[in-house]
This record gives sequence, structure tokens and C-alpha cells, in this order.
Amino acid sequence: MTAPLLKVEHLEVRYGDLIGVADVSLEVPPGKIVALLGSNGAGKTTTLNAIIGVVPTSSGRIVFRSEDIAGMPAYAVVRKGVALSPEGWRLFVQQSVENNLMLGATPLADKSRIGGLLERVYTLFPRLAERRKQQAGTMSGGERQMLAVGRALMSDPQLLLLDEPSLGLAPAVVETMYETFVKLHDTGLTILLAEQSVDLALEVADYAYVLQVGRGALEGPAKELAGNAEVQRVYLGIG
Amino acid sequence: MQPISKDHSRIRGAHLVLLVVLAAVVLLYPLLTAKFPVYQRLGALVLLYAIGASAWNIVGGYAGQVSIGHAVFFGVGAYSAVLAYHHLGLPPIAGVPLGVLVSVLIAAIIGVPTVRLAGHYFSMATIAVAELTRVMTTTSDFLGGAQGLTGPTVPRSVLDLSFTSSLPYYYIFLAVLAGVLWLTWRMETSRMGFYLRAIKDNERAARSLGVMAGRYKLYAFMLSAALTSLAGGLYLTMFGFIDPDSGLGILISVKMLIMAALGGAGLLFGPLIGAAILVPLEEISNSVLGGRGAGLTFVVYGAIIMIIARFLPAGLLGLLTRLFKKSAAPGDRDAA
Repeated sequence: MTAPLLKVEHLEVRYGDLIGVADVSLEVPPGKIVALLGSNGAGKTTTLNAIIGVVPTSSGRIVFRSEDIAGMPAYAVVRKGVALSPEGWRLFVQQSVENNLMLGATPLADKSRIGGLLERVYTLFPRLAERRKQQAGTMSGGERQMLAVGRALMSDPQLLLLDEPSLGLAPAVVETMYETFVKLHDTGLTILLAEQSVDLALEVADYAYVLQVGRGALEGPAKELAGNAEVQRVYLGIG
Repeated sequence: MQPISKDHSRIRGAHLVLLVVLAAVVLLYPLLTAKFPVYQRLGALVLLYAIGASAWNIVGGYAGQVSIGHAVFFGVGAYSAVLAYHHLGLPPIAGVPLGVLVSVLIAAIIGVPTVRLAGHYFSMATIAVAELTRVMTTTSDFLGGAQGLTGPTVPRSVLDLSFTSSLPYYYIFLAVLAGVLWLTWRMETSRMGFYLRAIKDNERAARSLGVMAGRYKLYAFMLSAALTSLAGGLYLTMFGFIDPDSGLGILISVKMLIMAALGGAGLLFGPLIGAAILVPLEEISNSVLGGRGAGLTFVVYGAIIMIIARFLPAGLLGLLTRLFKKSAAPGDRDAA
């Protein structure tokens, strides 16, 4: 067995007196898609935000490529090869599509690579190429999601964190989006996917963790969890 | 694609014409008003305040960090100038570099712990530092206490920059303002400007992409402080007198903020436009009301702040640009 690309051990995040995440542990092996499931408020977004470094961790370890990155600021974490496509997209709505993508390239040390990476994003999402001069705030939900993912890819990450990429999108758009994730996975990209929609995530994931009120409640290979009634129980908070 | 690029070139062309006309008026203004020294003085004052407001604009407009304590940098600049004369017998202008240095240092001391926090913490910290400095200055003999200090009453040489006519001040201020705007423009079009726009638009997103938000906001604050201090030094050369209220009063900070916001915060020429409206307004109200109107200034500024916040979030220049774009590009909406 190879060493995991990302390993989270007993992560705890507090917002003052509030506990965002109480105890989450997970492993993401290189080249795999790992799903992070759970209902609203289970701690998925907080976990991803803690990994990328925009939310401080109060205890636990986050090991990326055998280096503890817990407590590192975001600019240091993304330079190590992690990128986040955040929940609700968090685009720069006043700026053009292309400027949004350029901002995604912030951590690149070698700026001459921007051209090639832009090309890659535009090939992956031809729609973005058509709209490159358009203001991000004037686009549809599906296009915004594409832009959020494209922007994250601009730093050429080894680990892509996807936060609720199906939220608020039409089923047909979600399907194309997930096909893109599979394509990215085929190129060797490692993905940690936070998702409320269980069936969708288990279809593409290799392994999954289910969170319940800030704790890891269940885990297993995606194929096994897919038919597991226990998942639904945890998910709905029954028992 | 075609109509969009055409609109862009039309807007750019209109900008250019506007700029040329504006530049001509600004350059010839003192000659046109040669017979009316009051108007010359007014012109010089507009430019002086425009320097201060443009300096504020770098951190308040571009970086979106609303400082309400810029008087401290203005005061440090003015006091450094007067101290160079009062204690060392140098021309006031010789104290300006020290003022700039001290201002940058103060900005770093306020900025390092506060730029990471939400905007209003920064605003409060800046008010606190400015007010503290004002009160401490009142009790310091070295700084002239509450009475203040006076610059050279009779010019010993041209270096004292003490003139009876406002014309030389006008052109000195104009040159400095041009320099400040040039620096701002360079910043706006650089990587730093690109990141500052992203930070202002959505700081959390910018940070999660690896933008060093705190660092860029701090740079903007330090640059802004340095240039504000310059405005303070120039103020002293023209007025030849400084006391805690005229150098460090909260009204100084509020004026910079209001002028920039009225004209258009985060826009290159916004503060100049704001100053061109508010300075004459203030001078008129002062001459009409005299001493009785002292408290009224605050009321008027309060009203202006409310109007800007409610109706003019992007200032007059922002409003104009929006109106112009709407009439020039009716097809934009359909294209979107």
C-alpha cells in the first residue's frame, strides 16, 4: 500500500465556543477520488476549509505529502499543491472569467505556465472559453461552478478539494460536471469530494467517509457503501 | 464579440477627450484666474486636499480598508516639517522625508495586527491611534502643545516655500498630485492592483487561492500613509502653522474619506473630483457663516456620508461611468 497523499488525524475546529468539526480522520490515497458525505452542518465544508488553511485548526494533524500542514496559512498550503473549489463558488463576480482564472494561478512560481494551464481549462470547459471576457457575476449557476473548478485547476494542484459541486445545479449540468471529474481523475488527479448527494458521489468515488455532526461516523469503499442502509440511517440522523 | 470591442474603443476615446480637456483646464486654471487671488487659492486648496484624498484612496478605495485615522499621517507630515524649522532652523520641506518614514512605520505598527481582521476593527484602530496622537501632542512642549507651532513667517530663501501668491503652491501641488496619481495608476495596473481588486471583491476566496491578502493590504496602507504624510508637509508650507486640531483632528481623516467616496473610491480620479466639489463648498460655507458654522460642517459631512452610502456606492465617477456605459452599449445586457 502506498502512503496517502493527504491524511487528516483527529481534526478539531472551533469557532469560538462553537465546534465546527469535533473529530474527523480521513485518508486520501494518490490518484483516488474520496468522497466526504454528510448532511448539512456535518462539518464537510469546515474540514475542507481547515485543510486549505482559511480556517484555523484547534487540534489534530493534517498531513500532506508527509508534511504537517495544519495551521499553515492558505498561501503556503496552495503552494504545496492543494486547491479548493469552494461551496457557493466564491467567484470574483465583478471581474471577467479570464481574470478569475488568472487569480487561480496565484501560487504558480513559474508564470510562463499560465498559458498552457488556461488552455487545459478551456479544453475541459469550452463554455468558459466562449465567455472568457464576460463578467463572472453574469453567468449561470452551471457556468459559475465550471469557473470555480477551472480556477482551482489553474494552480495545477495534486489534490483538488471540491465542495458541494452539485449544489443548486440542474441535473443535466451536474451530470456533465461529474463526467469532468472522472476525466480529471483519469489524468491522475487526486480528488477529495464533499457532497450531500450520496448516490452521485458514491458513483464516482473509490472510498467514502460519512460525517455526522462533526465526527466521522462511517467509512468504506464506495461500492460497499452504495447499497448500505446504515448510510441512510447516519445521514438522516436516525439511531 | 464585435459590438463589445467597438463599445470599448468608444469609451476609451471618450475617456481620452475628457482627459485632455480636464488636463488643459487644470494646467491653465491659475492663469485664467490671475485677477482673482481668491480663486487661485481655492484651486491650490482643491489640489492639496486631492493629494490627501488620493493617498487615502489607495488603502480606503483600492484595498477596501476604511481608515478613519489618516489625520495621524497628515499630522506627522505637517509636524515633521514644522519641527525641522522650529528646532533645527531648516526649511520645512527638509522635515518631509522624516515625516514619510515615521508615517510608514506607524502604518506598519497599526497594520500588522489589524489587516487580518474584519474591516471595522481596522477603522477603529486607526481612529484610536489618531485621537491618541492628537491628545498626546496637546501635552507635549516639544510639539508646541495646544498652541501649535509656526513655520518661517518671513521666507529666508525660496527653499522655505513661503509665497504670498497662491500660484506657486498651485503648481507645486499639481506636480505632487500628478506624481501621486501616477504611482496609484502604476499600482492599479500591477500585480498588486490585481490582487487588491480580488481581495476587495471576495477576500476569503482570494486567500483560499493563495493570495497573501494581509501582506498586500499592509503594503497599500504603508504606501497610503507615506503619501498622506506628504500632503501634511505641503499643508504646512502653505499655511505656515499647525496645531493639534488642524493637523491631527478627526475632521481631517473624515474629509479625506468623504472626498474620495464622493468622487469615487477605488477610482483613479475619484478623490480629485470629490475635492473639487467639497473644498469650494466648505470655503463658501465658511465665508458665509463665519465662525458660527463650525459645527455645521459635521452635519453637512454626516449628510453627505449618508447620501453616498445610500445612493452613490461607487461615487459620482462610478455613477457617470455606469450611465455612460449604459447609453453606449445598449446591447450588453442581451449579450449576457
